[in-house]
Amino acid sequence: MSEHKRRDAVEGKAGHPALCVLPEIEKEDELLEIMWTLREEGKLTHDEVLQNCSMEGCEVILKDLSKSGWLHVKGQAIELLPKGEKRARELVRRHRLSLRLFYDLFALDGAEAEACKFEHILSPEVTDSVCTLLGHPPNSPDGKPIPRGDCCAMFRQEMKPLVAPLADLMPGEQAKIVFITPGSHSRLDRLSAMGVVPGTIVKLHQKRPSYVIQLGETTIAVDKDITKEIFVKKV
Amino acid sequence: MHDHGSSDGERHRDTNLNKVLLIGNPNVGKSALFGLLTGKYVTVSNYPGTTVEVTYGNAVLNKVRTTVIDTPGVNSLVPMSEDEKVTRDILLTDRADVVVQVADTKNLRRGLVITLQLSEMGVPFILDLNMDDEAKSRGIFIDQERLSHLLGIEVVKTVAIRRSGVDKLLKSIQQPRQSSLEVRYDDAIEGAIRDVSALLPEANILRRALALMILAGDESLKGWLHANMQDHVIAEVETIRQALQSKYNNSLGYLINQRRMKKADEILAQVLSLHESGKGSAIASYLGKWSMHPVYGLPILLVVLYAVYQFVGVLGAGTVVNFLEKGVFGEYLNPWAIKIVHFLLPVPFLQEMLVGDYGLITMALTYSIAIVLPIVGFFFIAFSLLEDSGYLPRLAVMVNQVFKLMGLNGKAVLPMILGLGCDTMATLTTRILETKKERILVTLLLALAVPCSAQLGVILGLVAGLSGLATIIWLGTLLAVMLLVGFLAAKIIPGQPSDFVLELPPLRVPQLANILVKTVARVQWYLKEAVPLFILGTFILFISHKVGALAYIQKLTDPIVVNFLGLPSRAAEAFVIGFLRRDYGAAGLFMLAKEGLLDPIQIVVSLTVMTLFVPCIANFFMMVKERGMKTALYMVAFIFPFAFGVGGAMNWILRTMKVAL
Repeated sequence: MSEHKRRDAVEGKAGHPALCVLPEIEKEDELLEIMWTLREEGKLTHDEVLQNCSMEGCEVILKDLSKSGWLHVKGQAIELLPKGEKRARELVRRHRLSLRLFYDLFALDGAEAEACKFEHILSPEVTDSVCTLLGHPPNSPDGKPIPRGDCCAMFRQEMKPLVAPLADLMPGEQAKIVFITPGSHSRLDRLSAMGVVPGTIVKLHQKRPSYVIQLGETTIAVDKDITKEIFVKKV
Repeated sequence: MHDHGSSDGERHRDTNLNKVLLIGNPNVGKSALFGLLTGKYVTVSNYPGTTVEVTYGNAVLNKVRTTVIDTPGVNSLVPMSEDEKVTRDILLTDRADVVVQVADTKNLRRGLVITLQLSEMGVPFILDLNMDDEAKSRGIFIDQERLSHLLGIEVVKTVAIRRSGVDKLLKSIQQPRQSSLEVRYDDAIEGAIRDVSALLPEANILRRALALMILAGDESLKGWLHANMQDHVIAEVETIRQALQSKYNNSLGYLINQRRMKKADEILAQVLSLHESGKGSAIASYLGKWSMHPVYGLPILLVVLYAVYQFVGVLGAGTVVNFLEKGVFGEYLNPWAIKIVHFLLPVPFLQEMLVGDYGLITMALTYSIAIVLPIVGFFFIAFSLLEDSGYLPRLAVMVNQVFKLMGLNGKAVLPMILGLGCDTMATLTTRILETKKERILVTLLLALAVPCSAQLGVILGLVAGLSGLATIIWLGTLLAVMLLVGFLAAKIIPGQPSDFVLELPPLRVPQLANILVKTVARVQWYLKEAVPLFILGTFILFISHKVGALAYIQKLTDPIVVNFLGLPSRAAEAFVIGFLRRDYGAAGLFMLAKEGLLDPIQIVVSLTVMTLFVPCIANFFMMVKERGMKTALYMVAFIFPFAFGVGGAMNWILRTMKVAL
């Protein structure tokens, strides 16, 4: 594939799904994603799929997918079968979450290209973690809806992000440390020497006059600033 | 401390003298164990950072003459503050036959992180699970045999303050082993450990441990590296470290520690079982919470202060001093001494030297034994109770925000409060602070505005006779000065404040035995250190008086003392002698007031100047030792005129406003 075409594919044209240029084995994924996106736009037809597919041998792949029971083709009509539906949904979810991750969090220019690589390698657990980390975003940066995952359902029940700064806990609440984003390396070293590391269960005792936290049998008084950098998940 | 060059000689040292090194997290009972093994008392309290220096003591353990070494507590063998560095250095440079790691049984997770580092160092050691009683009362049980098996070393359980388990500990000390435990890090880190190890010289600890310290970014290791390695090798090591660090987002120190923590958790999961059995003392737990409560915390503080005031100021400085000074000394001892001296020594000069106005007996001993001793004695008892209860670190939680204004954080409250005991010792304790800026600030504030126990006691005795307003003015001025000077000094002194991360020990019922032993130890220290200085000071006064120098000094200082401060001329004596001992100066004022020579305003002004005034000689030497001559002189040069300035301003304001005290 030429460099020119690659760029076209990555940037996406005229509102069409952004395509990823990837090894053979992932072409099926691409096609499923195209179909998901076309269906969102209400124009999922056999011809449209082929038209939007910039890969070679699209027709063959489509037939293969049909043969292995991912989807059902009848004339122009294409219907995703349950297992195809699930696969496409997860793919799109990973792709759009990755976009958000790179776009929002890392402010990367080549977000689209990175997201294309990521959608194939994220495990379900990591996907949910990314989703949680980002606060269960409803849309990708280009405004397309992100299919919901299990973690989002839990999120809706609790109506709160699962991961929040320790400073946001109420006194008396317990949580597990998920990650720490320290202002300085020495701060992280000091905290970890006291046992404040990811995976530890921490309880917030009080917020005023100073923050007091407890880990096991260790009680530590800390600055508020520090508790803003310790991200926890309620247990 | 040995330098590295002598470490070869170390290895062939006198085999009769065994060396036992006590190491562990802060506040786990190392000093209590040290006292138990050696019979030598070192201060034992209930807050982290009581021990800031290495203490050596001799004992005969298992029929072998042994040197036992007590060290400051560490959370990691990569030091964060000066006191932690002391401990790491002793492992690095001093070869011990046995290292006894003391751990808090209920807090074994953090103890194990030290255990892992000791195994990496390859030192022969045993693990002592101390405070087993507290763990049990919290329903925490550690499978000692299994732990011993996992670690490959002897593990014993003790309750050091009750002497329980010591026999087994002594037995285990005879069988120290290197732990078989190993922590594997990431491949990249392991690779760097190999590369760095290959460049390191031989040391008392395994190269692997040394390499890990270097990789963890231990700044305090630089001195040792430069003493033992060539510069280009150090540069090579640093290159390896930076190359490794660039592969990770988080600091290497953190990654290494996190790995150790994980390993500790794995071990803990195999040896820890929890039983339902109450949560320790419920009352202590509630009191602990209330003492840091935003609303109840303050009344509790006031109650504590009031209780101390009643105990020290009213009972000690009032009742007991009256009994000793007026009764025992005034009625009996001094008249007898005068009679005996006059009878035995028919030389007027000697008579006057011993029992005159500036007599070594009638002044020095009366001041030091009848006035100051009961006051400091009562103060030491009250202070020991506070120390052992675990209340002091909770104060840090209450004052953290205020201390932030002074470029400090709540942790600095510990040396400041200790300053109320003795500013000299407290200056040493500034080592627990993490940045140089904080250490300088606290040293200055200690020297300036924190009265020591002896002085405070005398002051409490003085203001007890005045209205509450007088006390409030004195205390308010001190606090205002402290805040103002702290605030301004924090702006001037370069450097960054450090994070407030302070461990709070559980509230405990103070052990009567420890309170008594500690008070006796401190009183002995007072007698040994203070009484000779009182005698020396009195002798100087006596000679000055005899040669007329005192009158000359008074004339010289009259413009300041009399005109500016509005005090009687004789107050100059108190200030001069205040150089030697702050409490002696205060005691001089105490006597002036008793003789009715000071009105209430004069008392308040003179007390304020005396409190702010120069630290005693011992404190000054400690300032020089810890902060350097230049800094110490700067501080004194500031404090001296400042104290008199404040006193003069106070005198003027109180007189102009005609405040009735």
